[in-house]
Amino acid sequence: MNIDLTIIGGGAAGLAAALAASDQKLKILIIEREPRLGGILNQCIHNGFGLHMFQEELTGPEYAHRFIESLQEKHIDILLGTTVIDIQKKDDFHITLTSEKDGYQHLISKAVIIASGCYERTRGAVQIPGERPKGIMPAGSAQRYLNMEGYLVGKRVFILGSGDIGLIMARRMTLEGAEVLGVAELMPYSNGLTRNIVQCLNDFDIPLYLSHTVTNIKGKDVLEQITIQQVDDRFEPIPGTEKVFEVDTLLLSIGLIPDVGLFDSLQMQKSPMTKSAIVDQSLMTNVKGLFVCGNALHVHDLVDWVSKEGEKAGKYAKAYILEEEQRLKDLKSVIVGPNIRYVVPHMIDFNHLDEPIQCSFRVTKKMALGLFKVIQNGKVIIQKKAKYIAPAEMENIVIKKEDFISNDPIEISLEELA
Amino acid sequence: MKDYVIIGSGIIGSLIARELSKYPVSVLVIDKENDIASHQTTANSAIIHSGYDPKPGTLKAKLCVEGNALYDQLEKELSIPLLRTGAFVVAHNVEEENMLTHLYERSLMNGVPEVYYLSGDEARQSEPLLSESITKVLSLPTTKVTFPWEVAIHAVANAIKNGAEFRRNAHVVSIDRKDDHFILNLKDGTTIQSKNVINASGVMSDIIAKMIEDTPEFEIKPRKGEYFVLDRKAVGLFKHVIYPLPTASGKGVLIVPQTHGNILLGPTSYEISNREDESTTRDGMKYIKDQLKSLSTKIPYDLIIRNFAGVRATSTYDDFYIQESKIYPGFYHVAGIDSPGLTAAPAIAKYLVQNIIKMALPKKTNFDPIHQPKPLFHSLSDEDKKKEIEKFPKHGHLVCKCEKVTEQDIIDAIHQPTGNDTIKGIKKRARAGAGLCQGGYCESEVLKIIARETHKQPNEVNYYALNTPILTKETKTK
Amino acid sequence: MKELTCIVCPVSCHLTVDDSLKVVGNRCPRGEKYAIVEMTSPKRMITTTVKTTSTDCPRLSVKTKDPVPKELVFKILEYLSDVIIQKDVNIGDVIVSDIFSTGVDIVATKAMIQHDEVKR
Repeated sequence: MNIDLTIIGGGAAGLAAALAASDQKLKILIIEREPRLGGILNQCIHNGFGLHMFQEELTGPEYAHRFIESLQEKHIDILLGTTVIDIQKKDDFHITLTSEKDGYQHLISKAVIIASGCYERTRGAVQIPGERPKGIMPAGSAQRYLNMEGYLVGKRVFILGSGDIGLIMARRMTLEGAEVLGVAELMPYSNGLTRNIVQCLNDFDIPLYLSHTVTNIKGKDVLEQITIQQVDDRFEPIPGTEKVFEVDTLLLSIGLIPDVGLFDSLQMQKSPMTKSAIVDQSLMTNVKGLFVCGNALHVHDLVDWVSKEGEKAGKYAKAYILEEEQRLKDLKSVIVGPNIRYVVPHMIDFNHLDEPIQCSFRVTKKMALGLFKVIQNGKVIIQKKAKYIAPAEMENIVIKKEDFISNDPIEISLEELA
Repeated sequence: MKDYVIIGSGIIGSLIARELSKYPVSVLVIDKENDIASHQTTANSAIIHSGYDPKPGTLKAKLCVEGNALYDQLEKELSIPLLRTGAFVVAHNVEEENMLTHLYERSLMNGVPEVYYLSGDEARQSEPLLSESITKVLSLPTTKVTFPWEVAIHAVANAIKNGAEFRRNAHVVSIDRKDDHFILNLKDGTTIQSKNVINASGVMSDIIAKMIEDTPEFEIKPRKGEYFVLDRKAVGLFKHVIYPLPTASGKGVLIVPQTHGNILLGPTSYEISNREDESTTRDGMKYIKDQLKSLSTKIPYDLIIRNFAGVRATSTYDDFYIQESKIYPGFYHVAGIDSPGLTAAPAIAKYLVQNIIKMALPKKTNFDPIHQPKPLFHSLSDEDKKKEIEKFPKHGHLVCKCEKVTEQDIIDAIHQPTGNDTIKGIKKRARAGAGLCQGGYCESEVLKIIARETHKQPNEVNYYALNTPILTKETKTK
Repeated sequence: MKELTCIVCPVSCHLTVDDSLKVVGNRCPRGEKYAIVEMTSPKRMITTTVKTTSTDCPRLSVKTKDPVPKELVFKILEYLSDVIIQKDVNIGDVIVSDIFSTGVDIVATKAMIQHDEVKR
């Protein structure tokens, strides 16, 4: 099989990429391992999606449906229930797929967009001590069992992690008849939206324990008890602050990690901060023709931005395939300055500045008022004030060609004003 | 009425079952848990030690070296995974180098077939991540690594093929002697009668012993060992088993490449009061990291996917206790089997049958030593994959992306004679859930497959033990 | 007297409302309005699932088309736990109309069309 553009993942990012890339001239294929398109949106039955994309508040499945519907009229092939198990590059990409329906298949693709989303951080990765009974699982797994299969995973629940996934599950489990005894959060503030704190915790009198983490798990075969403790500013548990909860379920909402292990075989350069590919403003990696977008590139808080990023990847992938003459790139780093955790894109290609560049980034601490600065050759070329800055909220700055004063690396930093 | 009942299906009980199945006797191996091999056998370093460490003249020393050699044969007969890693025992200074000399001499006394020295630089040529402060190492090329519970499962499968039986959820609560046989009273109210009983119950072995003897000659003093597991991405970072110098509490905190590509770091070794406490601890994990600094400063701790702990059946008897009961003939104790128990296991089984039971019957002429487990799909060659997927299209459905496990692999793991119907049982056999995401994605698929294949409702599928369903009630039902 | 956090904008003012509906703590009029509504007639959107007879799709996600009185949430959920979808459904289809005379419909947020699902 010969394909122009293969999109790995049919969730929010992949769907947007496919729509943006669609063209009569191109043979585009979406590969999705689930039996349906939509990705994680299918199990996110709560609302809050689409405020920016559609100026409407939609549930996850409704948001996905808008894109899936638009796909119908387009010249795009879809393989469901199919997983990519190998990918190599020899000029073009040689991809091996597997599915029950078609067995092993090989295809050759000119370009690839990785839109494979994330997996959830596990207990083992953070080494929560204690016994290893049943009843401990990532919040997303519990969400899938509940919303797709229709089963509760427990009756007395504690949740570690106050990001939106943890908060949403606190409410969801409560609505379906479980008792949620509390949510613990390692940081001194919650990462979730205030609306979720109010409507998922306060509405149900579920206590939130900030600066706390789980320090012990008890139960031989089934979970019986967890212990949480307050932590100091080095995140070490403080003796004497133990609180014990008798629960049968511990849900972990402790972070998402880009699911890009498969692409190590392509020698894709990765950033240790985002744990995913280093890209330039076209979302292309160091591997020619390999693009990444969505949560597979960096974890987003709003699906609307995932879709925008997917659109960008689709657009640039199409240009890459259709462009006869491939201009050489002039890649320079985007330096991460004070109070910034990471920036995407990590590099700027100064030979392709026809489109404005949107830099998306996350900050390292909360601030009531701050000044974002883009610095080149020691000069501030763009600055932007912002209120209520938080690590949980992705920020962005748009840089146009005329803003640059040279082709030298730029730095993005944040100055705290209040 | 059985001829032999073996209490415990860990590596010891399983290999004893297989050894006995070579003879024209009826054999039943039982376990109180819901699966074969659930405790020590699933929580150790997986090393087949060379024999440099046990005290010369002990059973531990003798059976360690004999057992090590027998693993080559086990590999051929049972298709067990076996990595020929070799090992380095490392020294950092003159004092430690002198201790290496003792170990060298001890190896010779124990009959270790191959042992020699390397300089620190020479060692770092094949192990570049070893600490620069290492000056000299003892090289032990006969050291290997296996996958312990697979050995137990394959041994039981082969024993079953040769007429033995396995029963799970058979928890012995008391034992009576009647005429010339024993009656094992189980927790579920049933009984098992047998002419001979073999106590291979690991950390419980003094409890079992006390069921027929007032004062057994050994007492179990459980010692916990905690470990970290690094993801398969770490494969190749270390090729040998790396040991520090041994101390009174054991061989120390090690770096151990595993057969599936992971790396194991650990164990700790400290006495505990509750023999069933398999919990990991903050102190234990800190201790491991501290101790490993002298072996290597380049260990990728960000690749940790799991940690676990096991409890050793260390006993007050200063050696393996493999003896017939002094009170009741026909009751045999195979107790106090801590390190090098895994290594010695095949030799322990032979020693028990030949030297202690003194089996007089000749071996069965129709004993078939070969067990050919169905290999996991991803381990097949491209050509064999094509053939298999044509016969079994469900090999096309990849369920566990991290460990490349197919739906058919899982179906086979459920239905084989030593199959299992729990989430963890499938993880032990087919590896689904053992990888980077630890079942975060595939557990719901595995659960559905188990439910379908065993005609159960989804909320009847257990995590491991009986009555540990992953799913509680179905929502929107009264 | 009720203490609450305003959710209208990221400032998240801490508000107190007393029984005479006097609001303290808001930095803008929107906060005052929010506090009064939360005190007198709080409303919530409900998103949940209902049972179906489909084996591929045992649960269908649904929502209230508009917010409903907060005190009716559990009553509505209990009512919905007896609903079973037996035929094909499109996004937006009304599953229950005018739930408990609130004027609000329960609508499907997912399509369930049997023949479109890939059978494994």
